[in-house]
Amino acid sequence: MTNPKTLIIGYGSPIRGDDAIGPLAADALDAGPLPAGVTVISRHILTAELTEDIAAADRVIFLDATVEGEPGEVRVRRLEPDATALSSMAHFLDPRELLAWVQTLYQREPAAYLISAAGQSFDYANYALSPTAATALDPMIARVRALIAEPLPT
Amino acid sequence: MSRTVTIEPVTRIEGHARITLQLGDQGEVQDARFHLTQFRGFEKFCEGRPYREMPALTARTCGICPVSHVLASNKACDYLLSVTIPPTAEKLRRIINLAQITQSHALSFFHLSSPDLLLGWDSDPATRNIFGVMRQDPALARDGIRLRQIGQTIIETLGGKKIHPTWVVPGGVSEALTPEKREAMLKMLPEGLEIAKRTYAFFKTLVPKFKDEATNFGTQDTMFLSLVSPEGNLEHYDGFLRIKDAQGHIVEDMVPTWEYERLVGEAVEDFSYMKFPYYKPIGYPQGIYRVGPLARLNNANSCGTPYADVALAEFHMLQESGPIASSFHYHYARLVEIIYALEMMERLLKDPDILDTRVRARARSNRDEGIGVSEAPRGTLMHHYKIDDDGLVTWVNLIIATGHNNLAMNAAIRQVADAYVDGNNLQEGMLNRVEAVIRCYDPCLSCASHAFGEMPLLIELKDAKGRVVDRLSRG
Repeated sequence: MTNPKTLIIGYGSPIRGDDAIGPLAADALDAGPLPAGVTVISRHILTAELTEDIAAADRVIFLDATVEGEPGEVRVRRLEPDATALSSMAHFLDPRELLAWVQTLYQREPAAYLISAAGQSFDYANYALSPTAATALDPMIARVRALIAEPLPT
Repeated sequence: MSRTVTIEPVTRIEGHARITLQLGDQGEVQDARFHLTQFRGFEKFCEGRPYREMPALTARTCGICPVSHVLASNKACDYLLSVTIPPTAEKLRRIINLAQITQSHALSFFHLSSPDLLLGWDSDPATRNIFGVMRQDPALARDGIRLRQIGQTIIETLGGKKIHPTWVVPGGVSEALTPEKREAMLKMLPEGLEIAKRTYAFFKTLVPKFKDEATNFGTQDTMFLSLVSPEGNLEHYDGFLRIKDAQGHIVEDMVPTWEYERLVGEAVEDFSYMKFPYYKPIGYPQGIYRVGPLARLNNANSCGTPYADVALAEFHMLQESGPIASSFHYHYARLVEIIYALEMMERLLKDPDILDTRVRARARSNRDEGIGVSEAPRGTLMHHYKIDDDGLVTWVNLIIATGHNNLAMNAAIRQVADAYVDGNNLQEGMLNRVEAVIRCYDPCLSCASHAFGEMPLLIELKDAKGRVVDRLSRG
């Protein structure tokens, strides 16, 4: 049996402090050993052209920073396509909106998760996390590894 | 009783803006204004920085067209160095610029404007969005995604990353092209061209349905400013400035870009943070001109690539004679330029010198003033810097493509408001048309934030004393 195709997308601005945790976690995962069938992408923002990559995956894991929760806290939640989660911005998308694009255009609905880490500072920086957010990096990566070790949900 | 209608924010554009319509006693439009409501300050806070930082700093002006700023800024730096960059570096810079134009035009057409074009100006605003387009024509939506992906992938292949690439440097580019990267890019282009051609063919069938909009969407007499090649053909990277008047007479030609200040003056109005560039010899505000795809095609003798030249000939048939006047046809011009960009990228990538490893001229600063001009997706982009003996920036002037169109956009919303807005019976579709004429210009009002889609729309009618007498809102 072949491994499920898993797509990991870490996203956030590299120059806005803890917002960089998604891309940093993605880069760390990409640098380490990964099971077959796992692809890692690092982006500033979620854009429409990611739909083709997502449509080709069985499972997609988004990694992002959040202002919700205690700084350093890591949360995992399932995501469903949601066409009403329209981003108010012209050139980036909400992950649920992106999943709805995939569902509408490609009739595909991969199992989707959002792993978020609560940030503390979103001020100007360059791939530099606050000490508190930095403590979330390893747990975030561990959550990803745990997820991709699981079979696909039925 | 005079009243003011405010449309805020204007949706499906890049940045924050507001439109106000001043209505007279009978509900007729007396004035229309387009306000840029956000302030950035790049020209000021760049002062004191080393000039070599300018490409990276000014690229942050925009998340949609950073490549354009990187190119204009590096051209200004080339000028400061007093170097002629290696021919291969110029070709590589041209390719990344054309990839940028492809992806940006694709975003404008498929993502921002197609809801109006496919679903109609008066359709339900709740579904007049990209999901409405996907349901109505999923193949078109997939084409839009793929075309943008091709442009973005070429930018990433050359620049190392999709947003804010640092591969273009003063004196050329930092890294030569490898055969593997060239092949990867060449492989994508035929598919891109097929998409562009079928989208163009499809749009041609739509154009006759929009006779009314083509008649009323910004058809005012203006001049047209753009770069042209030394042969007078379509040009996006270098060349000379050309200005045509509304009748098609060339009033300025083969003007070196460093003489832009002779042609372009900048006025300021108290109702907007965007300046009002004008053609200096005629003065303000009579010196109104347009830039961008419509101006470039109006000014070019030819495109110089096979399919784009056929499309250019058809573009000129949109009107009996003279430069194409209607701003509605910016959409058409964008599709012609996408075809051109894909054809030209293929030609450049097949150039025998494209793998040459000599891609950067090195020098220290040899001038105290540098000017860089290129064509961004939305029009002519000008960067002008002055530096001191230590290479620190002492003065900056940026004339952004959208700024050139400011006078024209204000005139266009007035025309559309006159044609469609009935102050006594406000309808959402009327106001959507006022917004839509702005979308024709695809303004990029800076990328600190980008309003689009289902942002709330608030229109208030106020009497002469500022009291709200009526209100229409969505979102």
